[in-house]
Amino acid sequence: MNLSGCFRSKIPFLLVLFGLLLILFFILNIMIGSVMIPWKDLCKVLMHQGNDPVYNSIIWDIRLPRALAAIFGGAALAVSGLLLQVFFRNPIVDPYVLGVSSGATLIVAILMLAGYTFGIMMISPFLLSGAALAGALGVVMLIVAISARVKQLVTLLVIGLMIGYLCSACSNILIAFAEKENLHNFVLWTLGSFSGFSWDEVGILTAAGTVLLGASYLLCKPLNALLLGEDYAQSMGVNIKKLRIFIVLISSALTALITAFAGPVAFIGLAGPHLARLTLGTSENKILIPATILLGAMITTFCDFLARMAFSPIELPISAVTSFIGAPIVIALLMKRRTSL
Amino acid sequence: MSIIQTRKLAVGYGGRTVVGDINLAALKGQLICLLGPNGSGKSTIIRSLAGLLAPVGGSVFLKGQPLHRIESKELSRMMALVLTERLSPGLITVFDVAAMGRYPHTDFFGRFSEEDKRKTREALCLVNAENLAERYFTELSDGEKQKVLIARALVQEPEVIILDEPTSHLDVKHRLEVMKILRQLTKEKGITVILSLHEIDLALKSCELALLVKNGKILAYGTPEEILSEETVADLYGIDSAHFSNCLGGIELKNSGGASSFVLAGAGSGAPLYRLLNKHGFSIMTGVIHENDIDYHVGTAIRAAVISEKPFEEIRKSALNKAVSLSAQADCIIDAGFPAGTLNKLNVDLARRLLAQDKTIYSLRDPEEARKLFGTNEGQLVFCPTTVDLMEKLKSREAGVIEQQTASKAVCNA
Repeated sequence: MNLSGCFRSKIPFLLVLFGLLLILFFILNIMIGSVMIPWKDLCKVLMHQGNDPVYNSIIWDIRLPRALAAIFGGAALAVSGLLLQVFFRNPIVDPYVLGVSSGATLIVAILMLAGYTFGIMMISPFLLSGAALAGALGVVMLIVAISARVKQLVTLLVIGLMIGYLCSACSNILIAFAEKENLHNFVLWTLGSFSGFSWDEVGILTAAGTVLLGASYLLCKPLNALLLGEDYAQSMGVNIKKLRIFIVLISSALTALITAFAGPVAFIGLAGPHLARLTLGTSENKILIPATILLGAMITTFCDFLARMAFSPIELPISAVTSFIGAPIVIALLMKRRTSL
Repeated sequence: MSIIQTRKLAVGYGGRTVVGDINLAALKGQLICLLGPNGSGKSTIIRSLAGLLAPVGGSVFLKGQPLHRIESKELSRMMALVLTERLSPGLITVFDVAAMGRYPHTDFFGRFSEEDKRKTREALCLVNAENLAERYFTELSDGEKQKVLIARALVQEPEVIILDEPTSHLDVKHRLEVMKILRQLTKEKGITVILSLHEIDLALKSCELALLVKNGKILAYGTPEEILSEETVADLYGIDSAHFSNCLGGIELKNSGGASSFVLAGAGSGAPLYRLLNKHGFSIMTGVIHENDIDYHVGTAIRAAVISEKPFEEIRKSALNKAVSLSAQADCIIDAGFPAGTLNKLNVDLARRLLAQDKTIYSLRDPEEARKLFGTNEGQLVFCPTTVDLMEKLKSREAGVIEQQTASKAVCNA
């Protein structure tokens, strides 16, 4: 009895804990690497008082942008997953379920595997991000257009999956004809990575990410109403059609943003919301959205740290690390619970 | 003025009419139910009244305004729903589920004022769910969930609550509790309640108006006392294996063939016995029963052969003779242990005559009283202290008869 009551009192404590852990991992990410940077030097460099050019360059050009990207990337993916899980009332939905990443992958595949045929000689990182963004947004627009028309949400879910399959099919055909060298790069891209973020990219990611995360928080109230299903939400005065478009648009835009810059990063979007729900013991979105932001950012930061350090100098794909660390935690938390999600 | 009214309403999906020509008018504080078999279109009507489904034709008026013209936020302050689908809202407490009803009353961020909290608590108290407030909704039983959903609807502070089969999946206690709560809402808060039901008896006992729906048509609309007759109910559900009795307020399963029994009954001693015999496949004859006796109503409802006498009249010789000749066809005779008084003293005579004809009577009566009433034909009276005992004896007798028949056949063949 009163299980939820005891959870409720823990919530502020847990949120602070997640925040502190996030900061801790963030600092670790900047300090530790192939070159260890002592705390004192870190502070100096950050205060623009460092005079070691190596430290300056490592921190400002490599580690800081990457750590920030991991934070915003994790937060964005987790919230995107949360929005869609509430929207579809389905716990196994992730941000890629509507085909956003497949769309991005397809355009990237065309660029990387068949670009030579189209006369593209050099692929700059910016071109790559642009291509991924174009692919992701193309699918987003398609999904938004469809979501206004379908009566049942499950239909939308299945259509999203089908679009995903279609895009993957096209990518796979391209893979069959691709050259070995290109293929290796492409496969690495599909596994996602936060390495090589430029400040321009981080700027776009943080600015757009902040706006979209803020917008998703504004949806708290109708999102809560959606917990009882669309019919109840409508009977309480929620404009379902508008809400559908908002949710699909915000969650897809968040996913598109990350996929464009970091490639498809698996698992965070699926597990972030679950971890938040299970540790806090609530589905109340006003608490869950901030918690998911913190947890998503925290886990991604930690996993990126592991990806860099575990088998250094070889860097592991971030998707492999997130799944490897996250899946057992989700399973353990689920087994401990009596209540279903 | 009616709170909710429909004019020539036709409901359905995608332009196809499921039920047409619905004209109903609900006043403030009325409890109105929709009755009909599964798939008759009750839910479609409910969804259309709730504005979840656009009508195919005609219109719904809420306080004189056409429903589709009312803005969704305004509508949500006038009308609340309890739907029949099973919910899985995740890790949400009962209080939070009920509190969702404040949706149309809270600000953009859904912030809760003290008043919102108080109203939520009040609603939970009203449905006797205040002690569930801190539990997770998904942990509750079906009955508790239904009460919480009613509280949620109530928290919306509507003038109309529409419920789709609120008593399905519930046990008797919760079914009655839910109906009691709904009645209370209509009486104390003046809320108009419209619901679909499967239980005819509940409809009869708690609703002001009933709308009978079958095969896309409105079969009848009016007070349940008026329209729920034996014929309309049989027609509504297309049942001929059972009969609805308005007077009894319930359904009795129709009696059909089998070993025949004659029951000496009266003053309610027969009713449970008829049902028991019916259940075990006996065909039933009974007499002589006064027409103002519950045994008469149950007997006729299950379609037993009833020899009856006018209310408050002494049983006449003609009725007695009929009973004697009818009982002659019976395979077994049972004395239900009716109280013997002046008006039915001929039933005692009936028993004596049967005993005089060397018949065996299975009696549920106290042996001493039986000897006093029927004389001393000790061997012919088989006393059964309980109905279970009675059924066992009747069954073993039946088995014995069959054995004898096969034995005699065997002898003949030899």
